[in-house]
Amino acid sequence: MAPSVPSPLVGEGQSEGVSARRASSVLSFLPVLLQQSINGVVLGSLYVLVALGLTLIYGVLLQINFAHADIVTLGAFAAYFFIHSLGGGYLSSIAVAFLVGGALGWLLNAAIFAPLRERGDELRPLIATIGVSVLIENLALAWFGPVPYAFDSPYSGQVIRFAGAFITIQSLLVVVVASATIAALYLFMHATYVGKALRAVAQDRETAGLMGIDPNRLIMLTFVIASALAGMGGAMLGPILVLTPFAGASVIVKAFAIVIIGGFGNMEGTIIAGLFVGLIESFTTQFLDPGLIDIVVFGLLLATLAIRPTGLIAERREENV
Amino acid sequence: MARTIAAALGAAAASAWLAAGPAEAAEKIIKVGALLPLSGPGAYFGAQDKQGIELALERINATGINGTKLEVQYEDSACQPLPATQAAKRLIDEAKPDIIIGEECSDATLAVMPLVAQAHVPLLNAGSSSIKVTDPGNPWTFRIMPNEVMQGEDLAKNAANELHAKTAVVLHENTNAGIGNADIFEKIFTKLGGKVLANIGFGRDVNDFTAIATRVAGLGAVDVVPTYTLEGQGLKITQALAQAGITKGGGGKAIQIATIWLPQSFDPKAGKAAEGYIRIVQFDPNDQRPVVRDFVKAFEAKYREQPTHLNAHAWDQIFLIADVVKRGGHDAQSIRDALAATKGFEGVTGTVTFDEHNQNISMDTVHYVETQPDASWKVLKWN
Repeated sequence: MAPSVPSPLVGEGQSEGVSARRASSVLSFLPVLLQQSINGVVLGSLYVLVALGLTLIYGVLLQINFAHADIVTLGAFAAYFFIHSLGGGYLSSIAVAFLVGGALGWLLNAAIFAPLRERGDELRPLIATIGVSVLIENLALAWFGPVPYAFDSPYSGQVIRFAGAFITIQSLLVVVVASATIAALYLFMHATYVGKALRAVAQDRETAGLMGIDPNRLIMLTFVIASALAGMGGAMLGPILVLTPFAGASVIVKAFAIVIIGGFGNMEGTIIAGLFVGLIESFTTQFLDPGLIDIVVFGLLLATLAIRPTGLIAERREENV
Repeated sequence: MARTIAAALGAAAASAWLAAGPAEAAEKIIKVGALLPLSGPGAYFGAQDKQGIELALERINATGINGTKLEVQYEDSACQPLPATQAAKRLIDEAKPDIIIGEECSDATLAVMPLVAQAHVPLLNAGSSSIKVTDPGNPWTFRIMPNEVMQGEDLAKNAANELHAKTAVVLHENTNAGIGNADIFEKIFTKLGGKVLANIGFGRDVNDFTAIATRVAGLGAVDVVPTYTLEGQGLKITQALAQAGITKGGGGKAIQIATIWLPQSFDPKAGKAAEGYIRIVQFDPNDQRPVVRDFVKAFEAKYREQPTHLNAHAWDQIFLIADVVKRGGHDAQSIRDALAATKGFEGVTGTVTFDEHNQNISMDTVHYVETQPDASWKVLKWN
């Protein structure tokens, strides 16, 4: 083997004197810290994209949607087949996944969740989301098969290197899309009539109805937006995660944890918690062991529940979503 | 042309082999239970195993074996201990098999071994590498693939002697097979004067490997990166290591190496990142032996794709059972005894001869390949 060369994330001052070596050692570690911070923000942005839809549905309906993970998966497959079967571009595939997710949200709510809610039972829609999740997962397994798909975005291989660190264009795209989505959702909720109506429904569904707001239409809109975000999240996740019929399931548990840590349906809390969990994962990998990630994240979840049961940001319910 | 002749010879030999022996009027059925991961991250194992099994059954049952046919009952064992034990119980209680094949994942195989032994049913394993499967093992469990010690010692020696590697970072999933393979590599590589800079384990739920690649890059100059994971995580690790500029596929110097885990279809999916990846294989679709040419031709005719080592292992398991039936195996006990006496069975993945622990000791087809820029394999003459 040829003589070993320093890796891109290691400084070059390692053969100098002791003090110089110490200083160099600290300096040489800075790119690693920067790199892990970048990794954490990218991973956190992915989690936020998935968790936002969950938090939206919980904030408006007080309902946990277990099928959310499977809409993420189907969004990823929609993007994959749009590219590989129809010859579409990756950026367009994100829009396709957004639309497919939205359509699925409409279909699931219209066909299953809304009729069950009309019966006035809180438990049945919850159980139905589990049933729908298992159904979609197995249908996806039958259609797409279990062999992992190679979902390559043209941006995955394009790497920007700076200050001893690197980021792929794909990762940059994830952060940009997540930031734009957060901004758009925030504006929608706070600056549009429909968004304000949605918050009114979240605050008090019956009173909102008396004010001339149709809660059922807005609940449908919530499902459509949340599912569209899940579908789009799938298109963003596809090139980074392993694309199989179980792709969404692999991130949903973390997304649930983020929703709880963030404050049960609170958008701002979800964003902070998502980034926090992403950074924790990266730095646990660097300083402890990647095998301990779940212990650290779910330890944090339990600590949050014990010390601050309302989550990181405890606001009044009407200020959620 | 040579391939066609070889395939024709193989097919003729297989048909003659199956038809040999006195014909019996009454048709007897040997029940084969198949414990395969059909769901979860290891489901690709089950799907490919099933292809190999179905193809072998078509061939064997077309003529039968001395009036006996094979029948397979599938159960989803999910590559995990709990679903595997539940699936094994269902098989044993309901299907009452004469022999069971599977599982792929060592954790699942180790979990079902006591149950299957207690039921006095032989278990024929192909894909689990943990040494514990056959050492100490039990009289009812057999394995045709080289175990983690056979592969791991060889890999570490070749890393030191052929690649002249001085440093390594070991990446592995936190399972019996992952930990076992990693530990054996570290033990032998260290004994040979190498230094393992880190031995990094992770759960099967880890998706983004950029953080792990960053840690590896921060460890300094690395010569080899032995990696032990399922295909999905393997893809992302290979790509993350390349993106971080560590491995050859990303312009770095480190060489990713591995034992028998990943199918050949891995390389085109990983793309340029897989360039320079060196790993042990037990099945090469370009092997010119007649049995391989026959298998490849039949497989490509049925499935319109090239077979992987998983397809080949499954084919060999069924053909080994047929061989055992031909040698007089007719129930669980006699099949076990005939299996234990197996010597020189010629399979697609190599010769099978079991030692006193029921481990196949033949390594005749085990060799190394290096992934080329076009995702093809270059055979390395190391063994």
